[in-house]
Amino acid sequence: MDENRFDDVITNLPDEFKVPDPPLEEMWKVIEAAHFTQTRRSTMRSTPWLAAAAALLIGIGIGRYYPSGKTATTSSSAAAAASNAATPVADTSAVADAYRDQTSQYLGQAAALLISLPAKSGTPKADATFANKAADLLVTTRLLIDSPAATQDPKLRSLLEDLELVLVQIARLRGERNKGDLDLIHQAVEQGDVISRLNSAVATTQSSE
Amino acid sequence: MTEKQLIARVIAGDRLAGRALYDTHAPRVYSLAYRLSGDAEKAREFTQDTFIRAFSRLSQFRGEAAFSTWLHRITVTVVSNARRSEVRTAREVTLDEAHSIETAPEAEPDLRESIARAVEELSEVYRTTLIMHDIEGYTHAEIAEILGVPEGTCKSRLSAARAQLRDALAAFKE
Repeated sequence: MDENRFDDVITNLPDEFKVPDPPLEEMWKVIEAAHFTQTRRSTMRSTPWLAAAAALLIGIGIGRYYPSGKTATTSSSAAAAASNAATPVADTSAVADAYRDQTSQYLGQAAALLISLPAKSGTPKADATFANKAADLLVTTRLLIDSPAATQDPKLRSLLEDLELVLVQIARLRGERNKGDLDLIHQAVEQGDVISRLNSAVATTQSSE
Repeated sequence: MTEKQLIARVIAGDRLAGRALYDTHAPRVYSLAYRLSGDAEKAREFTQDTFIRAFSRLSQFRGEAAFSTWLHRITVTVVSNARRSEVRTAREVTLDEAHSIETAPEAEPDLRESIARAVEELSEVYRTTLIMHDIEGYTHAEIAEILGVPEGTCKSRLSAARAQLRDALAAFKE
Protein backbone atom coordinates (compact mmCIF):
# COMPACT_ATOMS: atom_id res chain seq x y z
CA MET A 1 0.00 0.00 0.00
CA ASP A 2 1.58 3.26 -1.11
CA GLU A 3 1.64 6.61 0.73
CA ASN A 4 -1.36 8.10 -1.06
CA ARG A 5 -3.47 5.01 -0.55
CA PHE A 6 -2.65 4.99 3.16
CA ASP A 7 -3.55 8.67 3.42
CA ASP A 8 -6.93 7.81 1.90
CA VAL A 9 -7.38 5.09 4.51
CA ILE A 10 -6.72 7.58 7.31
CA THR A 11 -9.03 10.16 5.77
CA ASN A 12 -11.82 7.63 5.40
CA LEU A 13 -11.47 6.11 8.86
CA PRO A 14 -14.59 7.87 10.21
CA ASP A 15 -16.63 6.24 7.46
CA GLU A 16 -15.20 2.83 8.31
CA PHE A 17 -16.33 3.15 11.93
CA LYS A 18 -19.80 4.63 11.56
CA VAL A 19 -21.73 5.13 14.77
CA PRO A 20 -25.32 3.87 15.07
CA ASP A 21 -27.99 6.18 16.41
CA PRO A 22 -27.58 6.36 20.18
CA PRO A 23 -30.52 4.96 22.22
CA LEU A 24 -30.84 8.24 24.11
CA GLU A 25 -34.17 7.61 25.82
CA GLU A 26 -33.30 4.08 26.96
CA MET A 27 -29.96 5.18 28.36
CA TRP A 28 -31.52 8.15 30.14
CA LYS A 29 -34.06 5.95 31.91
CA VAL A 30 -31.26 3.94 33.49
CA ILE A 31 -29.17 7.01 34.31
CA GLU A 32 -32.12 8.91 35.75
CA ALA A 33 -33.27 6.02 37.89
CA ALA A 34 -29.74 5.20 39.05
CA HIS A 35 -28.61 8.68 39.99
CA PHE A 36 -31.68 10.58 41.03
CA THR A 37 -33.34 7.68 42.81
CA GLN A 38 -30.14 6.91 44.66
CA THR A 39 -29.91 10.52 45.71
CA ARG A 40 -33.43 10.23 47.06
CA ARG A 41 -32.90 6.92 48.82
CA SER A 42 -29.27 6.76 49.84
CA THR A 43 -29.82 4.10 52.47
CA MET A 44 -30.91 1.59 49.83
CA ARG A 45 -27.85 2.37 47.72
CA SER A 46 -25.42 1.04 50.30
CA THR A 47 -27.34 -2.21 50.67
CA PRO A 48 -28.42 -3.55 47.26
CA TRP A 49 -29.55 -6.84 48.80
CA LEU A 50 -32.01 -4.94 50.93
CA ALA A 51 -33.55 -3.46 47.80
CA ALA A 52 -33.84 -6.92 46.28
CA ALA A 53 -35.49 -8.33 49.37
CA ALA A 54 -37.85 -5.38 49.52
CA ALA A 55 -38.87 -5.88 45.92
CA LEU A 56 -39.52 -9.59 46.47
CA LEU A 57 -41.85 -8.69 49.27
CA ILE A 58 -43.69 -6.20 47.08
CA GLY A 59 -45.59 -9.08 45.55
CA ILE A 60 -46.83 -10.00 49.00
CA GLY A 61 -47.64 -6.44 49.83
CA ILE A 62 -49.64 -5.85 46.69
CA GLY A 63 -51.48 -9.12 47.16
CA ARG A 64 -52.68 -7.98 50.55
CA TYR A 65 -53.14 -4.46 49.36
CA TYR A 66 -54.98 -5.09 46.11
CA PRO A 67 -56.48 -8.62 45.85
CA SER A 68 -57.18 -9.41 42.18
CA GLY A 69 -58.21 -12.33 39.97
CA LYS A 70 -58.13 -10.66 36.57
CA THR A 71 -56.21 -11.96 33.58
CA ALA A 72 -52.60 -10.99 32.90
CA THR A 73 -51.80 -7.89 30.92
CA THR A 74 -48.66 -6.11 29.82
CA SER A 75 -46.76 -3.64 31.92
CA SER A 76 -47.47 -0.90 29.41
CA SER A 77 -51.18 -1.28 30.03
CA ALA A 78 -50.45 -0.71 33.70
CA ALA A 79 -48.98 2.63 32.76
CA ALA A 80 -52.01 3.36 30.61
CA ALA A 81 -54.26 2.56 33.53
CA ALA A 82 -52.17 4.84 35.71
CA SER A 83 -52.61 7.62 33.19
CA ASN A 84 -56.32 6.96 33.02
CA ALA A 85 -56.49 7.31 36.78
CA ALA A 86 -55.65 10.96 36.32
CA THR A 87 -58.64 11.51 34.00
CA PRO A 88 -62.00 12.40 35.53
CA VAL A 89 -64.55 9.73 34.62
CA ALA A 90 -68.06 8.91 35.68
CA ASP A 91 -67.37 5.53 37.24
CA THR A 92 -64.35 6.31 39.38
CA SER A 93 -64.55 3.06 41.29
CA ALA A 94 -64.27 1.06 38.05
CA VAL A 95 -61.17 3.04 37.05
CA ALA A 96 -59.71 2.55 40.50
CA ASP A 97 -60.34 -1.19 40.28
CA ALA A 98 -58.73 -1.36 36.85
CA TYR A 99 -55.77 0.62 38.09
CA ARG A 100 -55.33 -1.66 41.10
CA ASP A 101 -55.53 -4.77 38.91
CA GLN A 102 -53.04 -3.47 36.39
CA THR A 103 -50.67 -2.26 39.07
CA SER A 104 -50.91 -5.62 40.78
CA GLN A 105 -50.10 -7.38 37.50
CA TYR A 106 -47.19 -5.05 36.85
CA LEU A 107 -45.70 -5.65 40.29
CA GLY A 108 -46.27 -9.36 39.78
CA GLN A 109 -44.16 -9.20 36.61
CA ALA A 110 -41.45 -7.38 38.49
CA ALA A 111 -41.48 -9.93 41.31
CA ALA A 112 -41.42 -12.76 38.75
CA LEU A 113 -38.40 -11.18 37.10
CA LEU A 114 -36.53 -11.12 40.41
CA ILE A 115 -37.43 -14.71 41.27
CA SER A 116 -36.45 -15.97 37.80
CA LEU A 117 -32.99 -14.41 37.89
CA PRO A 118 -30.46 -17.22 37.40
CA ALA A 119 -28.23 -18.28 40.27
CA LYS A 120 -25.14 -17.24 38.35
CA SER A 121 -24.47 -14.98 35.42
CA GLY A 122 -25.24 -16.72 32.15
CA THR A 123 -24.41 -15.81 28.61
CA PRO A 124 -24.23 -12.13 27.72
CA LYS A 125 -27.42 -12.65 25.70
CA ALA A 126 -29.27 -14.20 28.63
CA ASP A 127 -28.13 -11.44 30.97
CA ALA A 128 -29.17 -8.87 28.39
CA THR A 129 -32.67 -10.41 28.29
CA PHE A 130 -33.11 -9.82 32.02
CA ALA A 131 -31.55 -6.39 31.75
CA ASN A 132 -33.86 -5.40 28.90
CA LYS A 133 -36.92 -6.66 30.77
CA ALA A 134 -35.88 -4.64 33.79
CA ALA A 135 -35.36 -1.58 31.60
CA ASP A 136 -38.88 -2.04 30.15
CA LEU A 137 -40.37 -2.29 33.63
CA LEU A 138 -38.45 0.82 34.68
CA VAL A 139 -40.50 2.84 32.20
CA THR A 140 -43.72 1.73 33.82
CA THR A 141 -42.25 2.24 37.26
CA ARG A 142 -41.50 5.88 36.58
CA LEU A 143 -44.95 6.43 35.06
CA LEU A 144 -46.59 4.87 38.10
CA ILE A 145 -44.45 6.84 40.54
CA ASP A 146 -45.41 10.07 38.81
CA SER A 147 -49.09 9.13 38.48
CA PRO A 148 -51.71 10.79 40.70
CA ALA A 149 -52.53 7.40 42.16
CA ALA A 150 -49.06 6.98 43.59
CA THR A 151 -48.87 10.62 44.61
CA GLN A 152 -52.02 10.16 46.68
CA ASP A 153 -50.77 6.88 48.12
CA PRO A 154 -47.44 7.24 49.96
CA LYS A 155 -47.40 3.53 50.76
CA LEU A 156 -47.59 2.54 47.10
CA ARG A 157 -45.13 5.23 46.12
CA SER A 158 -42.61 3.89 48.60
CA LEU A 159 -43.01 0.38 47.19
CA LEU A 160 -42.47 1.64 43.64
CA GLU A 161 -39.37 3.59 44.59
CA ASP A 162 -37.82 0.53 46.23
CA LEU A 163 -38.64 -1.55 43.18
CA GLU A 164 -37.13 1.09 40.90
CA LEU A 165 -33.80 0.67 42.68
CA VAL A 166 -33.77 -3.07 42.12
CA LEU A 167 -34.69 -2.76 38.45
CA VAL A 168 -31.87 -0.29 37.92
CA GLN A 169 -29.40 -2.81 39.30
CA ILE A 170 -30.74 -5.54 37.03
CA ALA A 171 -30.77 -3.22 34.03
CA ARG A 172 -27.06 -2.71 34.60
CA LEU A 173 -26.24 -6.43 34.66
CA ARG A 174 -25.15 -6.48 31.03
CA GLY A 175 -21.44 -5.99 31.56
CA GLU A 176 -18.85 -8.29 33.13
CA ARG A 177 -18.11 -5.61 35.69
CA ASN A 178 -21.62 -5.74 37.13
CA LYS A 179 -22.06 -9.49 37.40
CA GLY A 180 -20.92 -9.39 41.01
CA ASP A 181 -24.10 -7.48 41.81
CA LEU A 182 -26.19 -10.48 40.77
CA ASP A 183 -24.18 -12.77 43.02
CA LEU A 184 -24.60 -10.32 45.87
CA ILE A 185 -28.36 -10.15 45.44
CA HIS A 186 -28.72 -13.93 45.35
CA GLN A 187 -26.43 -14.41 48.32
CA ALA A 188 -28.47 -12.00 50.41
CA VAL A 189 -31.76 -13.59 49.34
CA GLU A 190 -30.49 -17.04 50.31
CA GLN A 191 -29.02 -15.94 53.62
CA GLY A 192 -32.24 -14.15 54.50
CA ASP A 193 -34.31 -17.18 53.47
CA VAL A 194 -36.39 -14.69 51.50
CA ILE A 195 -37.87 -17.17 49.00
CA SER A 196 -39.18 -19.48 51.74
CA ARG A 197 -40.59 -16.52 53.62
CA LEU A 198 -42.14 -15.33 50.36
CA ASN A 199 -43.86 -18.68 49.74
CA SER A 200 -45.09 -18.78 53.31
CA ALA A 201 -46.50 -15.27 53.05
CA VAL A 202 -48.23 -16.04 49.72
CA ALA A 203 -49.97 -19.01 51.34
CA THR A 204 -51.05 -16.81 54.24
CA THR A 205 -52.36 -14.13 51.90
CA GLN A 206 -54.36 -16.58 49.79
CA SER A 207 -55.95 -18.20 52.83
CA SER A 208 -57.02 -14.80 54.17
CA GLU A 209 -58.91 -13.80 50.95
CA MET B 1 -29.34 28.73 31.76
CA THR B 2 -25.57 28.30 31.63
CA GLU B 3 -23.83 24.96 31.94
CA LYS B 4 -22.43 26.01 35.30
CA GLN B 5 -25.97 26.70 36.55
CA LEU B 6 -27.17 23.36 35.19
CA ILE B 7 -24.37 21.57 37.03
CA ALA B 8 -25.31 23.31 40.29
CA ARG B 9 -28.92 22.23 39.84
CA VAL B 10 -27.96 18.63 39.12
CA ILE B 11 -25.92 18.57 42.33
CA ALA B 12 -29.08 19.76 44.09
CA GLY B 13 -30.99 16.81 42.60
CA ASP B 14 -32.77 18.49 39.68
CA ARG B 15 -33.70 15.82 37.13
CA LEU B 16 -34.55 18.28 34.37
CA ALA B 17 -31.15 19.92 34.67
CA GLY B 18 -29.59 16.46 34.50
CA ARG B 19 -31.56 15.73 31.36
CA ALA B 20 -30.44 19.01 29.80
CA LEU B 21 -26.78 18.20 30.45
CA TYR B 22 -27.34 14.69 29.14
CA ASP B 23 -29.02 15.90 25.95
CA THR B 24 -26.10 18.21 25.25
CA HIS B 25 -23.32 15.69 25.80
CA ALA B 26 -24.71 12.16 25.39
CA PRO B 27 -24.39 11.88 21.58
CA ARG B 28 -20.67 12.71 21.67
CA VAL B 29 -20.05 10.46 24.68
CA TYR B 30 -21.88 7.59 22.97
CA SER B 31 -19.93 8.15 19.78
CA LEU B 32 -16.61 8.07 21.63
CA ALA B 33 -17.67 4.99 23.60
CA TYR B 34 -18.77 3.23 20.42
CA ARG B 35 -15.60 4.03 18.53
CA LEU B 36 -13.43 2.89 21.44
CA SER B 37 -15.41 -0.30 22.10
CA GLY B 38 -16.64 -1.17 18.60
CA ASP B 39 -19.88 -2.51 20.04
CA ALA B 40 -23.28 -0.80 20.30
CA GLU B 41 -24.36 -2.65 23.45
CA LYS B 42 -21.11 -1.86 25.21
CA ALA B 43 -21.29 1.76 24.06
CA ARG B 44 -24.72 2.01 25.64
CA GLU B 45 -23.45 0.54 28.90
CA PHE B 46 -20.34 2.75 28.91
CA THR B 47 -22.40 5.87 28.22
CA GLN B 48 -24.74 5.06 31.10
CA ASP B 49 -21.80 4.39 33.41
CA THR B 50 -20.13 7.62 32.32
CA PHE B 51 -23.13 9.77 33.22
CA ILE B 52 -23.94 7.91 36.43
CA ARG B 53 -20.32 8.30 37.53
CA ALA B 54 -20.17 11.93 36.38
CA PHE B 55 -23.39 12.93 38.14
CA SER B 56 -22.30 11.26 41.36
CA ARG B 57 -18.96 13.12 41.28
CA LEU B 58 -20.27 16.41 39.96
CA SER B 59 -19.47 18.20 43.19
CA GLN B 60 -15.80 17.38 42.53
CA PHE B 61 -15.87 19.14 39.15
CA ARG B 62 -14.07 22.42 39.74
CA GLY B 63 -14.49 23.91 36.29
CA GLU B 64 -10.76 24.12 35.56
CA ALA B 65 -11.35 22.24 32.31
CA ALA B 66 -14.44 22.29 30.11
CA PHE B 67 -17.23 20.04 31.36
CA SER B 68 -17.07 18.09 28.10
CA THR B 69 -13.35 17.44 28.63
CA TRP B 70 -14.01 16.19 32.15
CA LEU B 71 -16.88 14.00 30.91
CA HIS B 72 -14.87 12.52 28.03
CA ARG B 73 -12.03 11.75 30.42
CA ILE B 74 -14.47 9.67 32.45
CA THR B 75 -15.64 7.95 29.27
CA VAL B 76 -12.11 6.98 28.28
CA THR B 77 -11.47 5.68 31.81
CA VAL B 78 -14.68 3.64 31.86
CA VAL B 79 -13.92 2.06 28.48
CA SER B 80 -10.26 1.49 29.30
CA ASN B 81 -11.06 -0.24 32.59
CA ALA B 82 -13.59 -2.47 30.86
CA ARG B 83 -11.16 -3.42 28.11
CA ARG B 84 -8.51 -4.34 30.66
CA SER B 85 -11.05 -6.56 32.36
CA GLU B 86 -11.91 -8.17 29.01
CA VAL B 87 -8.24 -8.86 28.31
CA ARG B 88 -7.89 -10.61 31.67
CA THR B 89 -10.94 -12.73 30.87
CA ALA B 90 -9.63 -13.57 27.41
CA ARG B 91 -6.39 -14.85 28.90
CA GLU B 92 -8.37 -17.46 30.78
CA VAL B 93 -9.38 -19.18 27.55
CA THR B 94 -8.95 -22.96 27.77
CA LEU B 95 -6.50 -24.93 25.67
CA ASP B 96 -9.35 -26.54 23.77
CA GLU B 97 -10.80 -23.19 22.91
CA ALA B 98 -7.39 -21.91 21.90
CA HIS B 99 -6.94 -24.90 19.61
CA SER B 100 -10.29 -24.33 17.96
CA ILE B 101 -9.35 -20.72 17.34
CA GLU B 102 -6.05 -21.72 15.73
CA THR B 103 -7.62 -24.25 13.43
CA ALA B 104 -10.62 -22.17 12.44
CA PRO B 105 -10.71 -21.51 8.71
CA GLU B 106 -9.84 -17.93 7.91
CA ALA B 107 -11.23 -16.18 4.89
CA GLU B 108 -9.23 -13.56 3.02
CA PRO B 109 -10.25 -10.33 4.75
CA ASP B 110 -11.28 -7.26 2.80
CA LEU B 111 -9.79 -3.85 3.45
CA ARG B 112 -12.51 -2.85 5.92
CA GLU B 113 -11.91 -5.94 8.05
CA SER B 114 -8.16 -5.46 7.83
CA ILE B 115 -8.40 -1.88 9.03
CA ALA B 116 -10.69 -2.82 11.89
CA ARG B 117 -8.38 -5.62 12.95
CA ALA B 118 -5.28 -3.47 12.66
CA VAL B 119 -6.82 -0.73 14.80
CA GLU B 120 -7.99 -3.29 17.34
CA GLU B 121 -4.49 -4.75 17.61
CA LEU B 122 -2.86 -1.42 18.42
CA SER B 123 -1.77 -0.94 22.00
CA GLU B 124 -4.30 0.79 24.25
CA VAL B 125 -2.69 4.23 24.24
CA TYR B 126 -1.98 4.20 20.50
CA ARG B 127 -5.45 2.96 19.70
CA THR B 128 -7.17 5.53 21.91
CA THR B 129 -5.11 8.36 20.44
CA LEU B 130 -5.69 7.28 16.85
CA ILE B 131 -9.44 6.85 17.35
CA MET B 132 -9.82 10.17 19.12
CA HIS B 133 -7.79 12.11 16.56
CA ASP B 134 -8.36 10.42 13.21
CA ILE B 135 -11.89 9.10 13.75
CA GLU B 136 -13.53 11.30 16.38
CA GLY B 137 -11.80 14.49 15.28
CA TYR B 138 -10.39 15.69 18.61
CA THR B 139 -7.43 18.06 18.42
CA HIS B 140 -4.09 17.16 19.97
CA ALA B 141 -4.72 19.76 22.67
CA GLU B 142 -8.08 18.21 23.53
CA ILE B 143 -6.70 14.67 23.60
CA ALA B 144 -3.77 15.77 25.74
CA GLU B 145 -6.12 17.36 28.25
CA ILE B 146 -8.50 14.39 28.33
CA LEU B 147 -5.74 11.80 28.68
CA GLY B 148 -3.64 13.95 30.98
CA VAL B 149 -0.47 13.81 28.87
CA PRO B 150 1.67 16.50 27.21
CA GLU B 151 0.59 17.48 23.71
CA GLY B 152 3.92 16.29 22.34
CA THR B 153 3.29 12.84 23.75
CA CYS B 154 -0.07 12.80 22.05
CA LYS B 155 1.52 13.67 18.69
CA SER B 156 4.22 11.03 19.00
CA ARG B 157 1.63 8.42 19.97
CA LEU B 158 -0.45 9.26 16.90
CA SER B 159 2.60 9.04 14.67
CA ALA B 160 3.52 5.65 16.12
CA ALA B 161 -0.05 4.41 15.84
CA ARG B 162 -0.22 5.38 12.17
CA ALA B 163 3.12 3.72 11.51
CA GLN B 164 1.92 0.47 13.05
CA LEU B 165 -1.35 0.69 11.15
CA ARG B 166 0.52 1.20 7.92
CA ASP B 167 2.77 -1.79 8.60
CA ALA B 168 -0.26 -3.91 9.34
CA LEU B 169 -1.85 -2.92 6.04
CA ALA B 170 1.35 -3.01 3.99
CA ALA B 171 0.76 -6.48 2.66
CA PHE B 172 -2.77 -5.70 1.70
CA LYS B 173 -3.21 -6.05 -2.06
CA GLU B 174 -5.70 -3.83 -3.80
